[in-house]
Order: sequence, then structure tokens, then C-alpha cells
Amino acid sequence: MHELLLFASVPVHQHHGLLQQLAGLTAMQPRHALERRLIFKAFRKPGLITGRVGGSQDLQQASAGDLQRVNKMLNGGMFYTQVVGPVSEKDFAPASKSVSAPDADTKMAGMDESKPPTLTQPDIAHVYDYDQQAWKLEFRDIPEAATRSAITTRVMASAALPRGDVEPSMNAWGYGFVTEYLVEGDVFIHNDIVIFLHRVLHYPTGEKEPREPRRNLPPLKKMAPLEKTGSYVLQASITVQDGSNQETMKTASQHLLGLREQLKSAVRLEPADRLSLDTRAK
Amino acid sequence: MVESFTLPLRPPPEQSERPDTLPVEIAQINNQWGSFREVNEEVLRAKIAEEKARHGVQQDEEMGEGEQEPGEVDVTERREQLYKRRLEITQFAMLVAFTPAKPLESSVANQSLNSKSHQETMLALDFISLLLSKHAPRQAETSMSPLLKQLAPLGTLDSDLVNPPPRPESAIKDISTVSRGWRIQNFEAASSKLLSAATRLNGEIESETRYWSEVLAIKDKGWKVCRHPRERQALAVQYGFIEATPIFRDRGLASLRRAKDGSLILDKGLLPTGARHVRVRVKQGNQVFVSSTPSGGGASDTDPIEHRILQARDSVFEEELFHELVREARAMAGCSVTTRQNLVRVPVSDDMEILLDLVDADTHGVGLEQNSTQGDNRLADGLAHAIRILLCFAHRQNLRRRTQLPRPLTSIRPTTPEYHLLRPALAYLQHLSHVRWLKSFFSDIHSVLQSAGLDMPEWTSNSYASWKKSPTSPSPATLEALVENFLRPIESTFSGKLLTSRGSFTVAIRTNLSSPPFGTHYDVSLNLPSVPDLKSPGRLGLKDEVEAAITHLLLLDVVSSISSKPLPSIRNASNEQTWDAVYPHLGELILPNTHPEKHKKMKITLSRHEITLKTYIVRSIDGIGRGTTELRSHNAATHICKFPQSSYGTPAAQEHSSVMDFVVAETSKGHP
Repeated sequence: MHELLLFASVPVHQHHGLLQQLAGLTAMQPRHALERRLIFKAFRKPGLITGRVGGSQDLQQASAGDLQRVNKMLNGGMFYTQVVGPVSEKDFAPASKSVSAPDADTKMAGMDESKPPTLTQPDIAHVYDYDQQAWKLEFRDIPEAATRSAITTRVMASAALPRGDVEPSMNAWGYGFVTEYLVEGDVFIHNDIVIFLHRVLHYPTGEKEPREPRRNLPPLKKMAPLEKTGSYVLQASITVQDGSNQETMKTASQHLLGLREQLKSAVRLEPADRLSLDTRAK
Repeated sequence: MVESFTLPLRPPPEQSERPDTLPVEIAQINNQWGSFREVNEEVLRAKIAEEKARHGVQQDEEMGEGEQEPGEVDVTERREQLYKRRLEITQFAMLVAFTPAKPLESSVANQSLNSKSHQETMLALDFISLLLSKHAPRQAETSMSPLLKQLAPLGTLDSDLVNPPPRPESAIKDISTVSRGWRIQNFEAASSKLLSAATRLNGEIESETRYWSEVLAIKDKGWKVCRHPRERQALAVQYGFIEATPIFRDRGLASLRRAKDGSLILDKGLLPTGARHVRVRVKQGNQVFVSSTPSGGGASDTDPIEHRILQARDSVFEEELFHELVREARAMAGCSVTTRQNLVRVPVSDDMEILLDLVDADTHGVGLEQNSTQGDNRLADGLAHAIRILLCFAHRQNLRRRTQLPRPLTSIRPTTPEYHLLRPALAYLQHLSHVRWLKSFFSDIHSVLQSAGLDMPEWTSNSYASWKKSPTSPSPATLEALVENFLRPIESTFSGKLLTSRGSFTVAIRTNLSSPPFGTHYDVSLNLPSVPDLKSPGRLGLKDEVEAAITHLLLLDVVSSISSKPLPSIRNASNEQTWDAVYPHLGELILPNTHPEKHKKMKITLSRHEITLKTYIVRSIDGIGRGTTELRSHNAATHICKFPQSSYGTPAAQEHSSVMDFVVAETSKGHP
């Protein structure tokens, strides 16, 4: 599958207005989305890739092209991949409670009897369950170098992963956990185009960076935007089933350019810098 | 007069010549009269006297000439004068011609004279041409000599009237009166024009205010007012449904134009303005029931704009509804639904048919088939409402589909499936007719058994069980979930107990027109412990099969209840006798007798309308034989008992009021 993309930067003061404009354009309410994104990096397991080991007998039987392909798969470039897990606002720890919970208990023990249960009940109802977290593996190639048009084009693939802890299975596939962040934004659908107005949030910096995906989420309020001013990124994308089909690629890019024309007075959609979207692991 | 004259607002024509500036005038005076220093009273007086004297002479001359004019100037005298002048001219010309040159021969003299005069003429021509070249340069240029063209540029000479003769008093007065008149007229015309412009602008302001206030009123009512996408200057109101098929979605936009008086005109372009709606007719036998007209139809131009917008919206909805109905009807040709240009015909059952068509609102009431009473239109009305609700539901589904993450783009365009409008309605009607049939069948056979004195437990029905889940399950969260129920297969169940203990039966009717298997199916399951190895017939498709299966089941039930009934033994209490069900599936029982040729056989037949019991004596040894081996005895002593007892039935049949009486009686007869 291929993905065609256009990006725009949206300053925070324009965010609200743009949300309304997009809602009018797409004739739908924005769908709020919160996504955990785990970054994994491919590593080469020592001794595993020798090319001719194992099934080489079978491979010799097969055509030279197949052999080449398998070799390429084994020794080819390595990439960073993302594992995306949708979460909801309820999954985050309640603001300021989790930190000061013991203090509050000791101090307010005799003061208010009726309040704590009412507060704790919803917490119990919505405890974030890491083992039930759904995950999706998203692979993105470096954008194509061809300067065919004013649109970023890249190969992409995604696959659903089993729920719960993904790290063991990712490790088994040769991927090591690097870091994780959160994406917050709103999704609009305009015909075939997915418009995602989002920004990247970082976990609170105070705590030590863990070596594995977090099992608990901090309060959402404590998450800090990567961009200090809190500005958003507008991403318009179309996925195309068959990237070798010039016809569909052309229609897809025409759709995107049409959207760019429609949004011209609000934002300027542009292709991204190719190297900034490089996902190759060196 | 005032209207025809049109130059009121033009700037006044400029004065032909501005008065000369003072220095120029002074220079002129100096030139003409000498220096100011020489001016004193005497000089001026002398001048005045001189002027006066000259004027007097002129006047005298004029007077004299004026006196001469009418009478003395004759034609002959004038001619004489003319000749005299001509002579003078020729003499002068001769003089001029001959003075420089010596007198030559007459021909040569003539020639030189000619060339002289020619030159003079050419000079005159040049002069005139140069003079004219200021006003008509192109024309004058043609008659100019090349020399002159070289010397003087075009238009360098002008002529003017210097020192015009004084006009007489009366003429001046006339001119001033006329010009004053013109001026007054012009002022009047200008003022009237201004006044009319002011009133026009006033009217314009009023109508414009009215237009905008009406537009605002529409906006306040919640209609979406926007700029017309195709005409940049026009306003438009959107009343259509965003989720509708693109053709109808685009139709839901009309521009708001301003009439002369400022009222709004809803301009829908070339679309017909009349209100139309889908009419549902249900044809049952010879009767036709028509759905009622939707309210609010038939808005005219005098209605408030809101009304007209509503009507336009309803029309576009109805047209879309019909469009989708036709689309769906085409896909339902397998259910023998037929479509014509403006009619969809849906046969439901043998005597029932639904007709759907798109009619104008005003033609609705005139139909001849409006003879049915108002109360009978419930079904038609219900159908009409149902298809509209389902279209709204389809719109919502469209919105949901549209806002999902799109599938990857491929070269194949996904086709939009037909909406489910007719199918649920048709499924309901089909289901209804099946349920009704089953109910009537059950009540028939129940009454037959009742009349035969068999105490059949009442059966229970649970119609539309699949729709009635809401009391137990949590009520549907959204409106969509509520309607979604109607798109699922419809199911009704009938259950009842049998005469024999622990016996029961269940019939489930399922109708499904949305997905295969299409149509209505009966699921008959039964539980009759008294008859072993009896299997439920399972899924049946035909009414006849269902009827046969249930009749057979009840027959078995009756047979087993008779066979299990302890009969009062007449002669010896120790030897209790019972009817033995030899062929329960054929409804045959036998009462064994000690005498091998006097076995008594009973045959029961059960149908929807009656139950018949027939007893006769067979001669076979054990009485088990069938057909030809049954060996019915010659004096079989056949007794027949039928229920329900017909009014003209045989008196013998009336003897027994119930099956059991008959059985008991027959038993006792069997042992005379």
C-alpha cells in the first residue's frame, strides 16, 4: 500500500477556528483521538543472518529471483516501526489524585466521609488495563525520492497485533523498544482523505525513562507538548491499495491537491521534507 | 415636454471667450487710442462727438438705404449694377495684367491674364483651405497646395467674428426670455428627476431592508444560508439532506432572490415547483386504501418563505424516496416486484398488492378510489411512515459510513447498495399474513378439537418475538439501534401443550428479505413422549406442509390420548380393556376381542375442519392387517362420528357429545 501525504503547521491560536472550518468542510463532527505510539527499532540478531544457512537447499531449488528476494528481506535495510494503540481520556490517571492520594487520605480522613467513595468509584470503573490494550503495527518507508509532484508519497503497511504486552512478540521479531509518546488530535474524513489535526505529547520528564512500554498512564494534564507553543500539525493522507497503478495514484494526488486548493485560505498544505520522515535505522 | 428634454444635469456651457486680462486690454487700448497720458476731457468729448456724428451718418445711410430697398431696386437696375461691378473687376484685372508686361497680342495677353487670375484663384483657394483646415483638416488638406503645406502647418489660421453688430433690443429680450424659459424647464426637469430618483432609492431601501430581514429570519429559524456556489452574488439556502444521493443532495439548495417589493423568491432553477409525494396504495381484494397526504403540502407563493422552504425540502425528500424505491424495486424483481415509469407494484399475497407512485400534492384528493373510510387506511399510512423512517435511517447509515476511516483507494469504485426501504416493509407484511394464517389455522383446529370434547390446552403466540426484546434487554442506546431491529429477520413463535402429558409443540416463523435465505420459513419442533422415534419436521417452507405436519401431530396426540385412556370395563372389572394404537400415524386403533374375528377397529381422521371417527369390525386374527389384509367383516357394524356436529348431520352422530363418549360407547358395544 502507498500513502500520499500533505502537511501543514497550525499555530495554537488558529486551532479552534480550523477545527470549525474542517467540520464545515467535511460535514462531520471531529472525532477526538488519543494514541499511544511506541517506537521500535529493528536490530540484527547476531549469527542469525548468514544468508546460506538453513533452508539454502530449498532456496537453491527455487529460482534465483526468489533467493535474491529472501536475501534482501533478511539483509535489507532496517527500519524503525511504530506500534499504535488507541486510548481514551478515561485511561489516564485522574489529575492530581494519583500523586497526592496518600496525603489526601491521611489529611482528610475524618473530614468528609461521603466524598471519597464517590470519587474513587469512577476510578475503579476505568482503570487502565495494559493487558487489554489493542495495538496496531504501522510501518512507514522513507518517502519516495521522485519529485513527481508536490506530494509526499511513501510505502506503508499496517497490521493488527495481539492485545496486551507487545514487547515480547516485537522482540521476537527483531525489534527493540526505543521510546514512546502520545498523539492527541481530531480526525476528519473527507471522501477518501483522512485529515488528522494532531500534536505530539511527551510523558512527564520528571520520571526516569522506562525501558519498556508503560503499564500505567500519567494524568493527561501533565503531558507536555513536544512543540513548546502547543501548535498542531495538519496531516492529510490518502492510502492507495496498489501503488504501481498510476491511474489511482494520480486520482489520489488530485484529490489531495484539490483539498489543498480548498483549504488554501486557511492553511498551506505542503509536502514534508523527505529526510525528516526517514524511518531507516542506521 | 419636460420629459422629452434631457439636459438638466450637464455643466453649463463655457463662456465662448473669457474677458482678456488687464495687461492685454491695456496694451490693446494703448495701440488703438494712444497712451493714457494723452487722454483728457477735451479729447474724450471730441471723440464722443465724432462717434455721434459717425453714428448719425450711418443711421442716415441705413435709413436711406432702407427707404430705397423696397421700391427702387429693380431687377434691371440690379443687373445693371452687377454688370458695372463686373466691368470694374475686369478692368482692374486688365490693369493689373497689363501694367508690368508690355501689351502683346491679344491671345498672349489673354493667357497671361488667365494665369494671373488662376494664380489669384489658387491663392484664394489656399487661403480658404488654410482657414478651413482648423475645423476640417482632412477635407481642407486635399485642396491645399504643396507649397502652403510646407510653409504653414494645418489649422494655424482661424477666423472669428470681431465686433459683432449690436442686436436689437427686442431680439435680446426675446433671447433672454427664451433662455430663461429653458432654464426654468431644465430646473424643473432636474428636480423631478431627483425626486423620482429619491423615491426610487427609498423604495429600494425598503425592499432591501425587507429582503435582508427575511433572510435573517430564515437564518434564525436554523436554515443554513450560504453563498451560492455557482453564482457568486446570490445567496442560497440549503434545505436538502447532506447524506442523500449526490443528485438529490445537490438539489437541496435554492437561491434566495429578491422580488420587486423585497420579498424572497425561492429560486430552485428548472426544478418543478409543485409539491410531490409518494403515495402508498394498498389494494386488498377490490378495495383500495390510500395513505393520507403528508401535511404541509401545496404551498403557494403567498405563503411565508419558511413554508416554501419546508415544502421544497419535503419534495426533494419524497423524490429521493421514490428514486430509491424504484432502485430497490429493480433489485427485488425476484420477489415479483415490477416497476413502471412512475409506479412500483409490490405483490404481497394473493389478494393484496401495494402500489407506490409519486404524485403531485394537488391531484391527490381527486382520485376516484377515495371511497374507503378513513379508518381503513392505517396499513397504508403505516407503510408510508415506515419507508420514510427507513430512508432517514439510511441517511444516518450513510453518515456513519462516510465518517469511518476510508478503505484504501483502488481502481474499482464501490457501488452504493440499495437502501432497505421496501424489503423490511414487505417482510413485515409477508410475516403478518403468515402469522395470521397460522393463527386462523390453530383456532380452527382448536375449535374442532373443542367441539369433539377434547380438552385441548390453549396455545400461546408470541408475534414478532424478535422485536420485543427491549423489555428484558437494555433499551437501545440510539435511534439507529431501534430501527436496526426492523432490518433483522422477523420471528414469531407459537407454542402449546398437547393432550398427552409432557407433550408440547413449538412453531417458529422466520421472515427474512434482507439476506439469504430469503422468504418465510417455519420451524416446527415437537415433543411427544407417547410416540417414540418421532422426529421434528424441522424447517418447512410451505403452508401446506406446515398444516399437514401439525394436523398429523395432533392426530397422533388424539390417538395416544384415546389409547391411554382407561376404559370402564363393563363385564368384568379385572380384565381392563384399552384401545390399542396399532397404526398411530394412520390414526388406527384396535380393540382386541377374545373372538378372533370380532376385533373392533377405529379409524380417526383429522383435518382443519373436522374430526371423524369410524369404527368397524375386522375379521383378521389379530386385527393388525391393513388394506386388503384388513379383512373388514361383512356386517362391519360401521359407526361414524363426526365433529363438529353439522346441523344436518345424521341423528346417530348426535348421540355422542364428545369423542370420549363415542369411544366409551363403542367399547361397550364391542362387548355385547
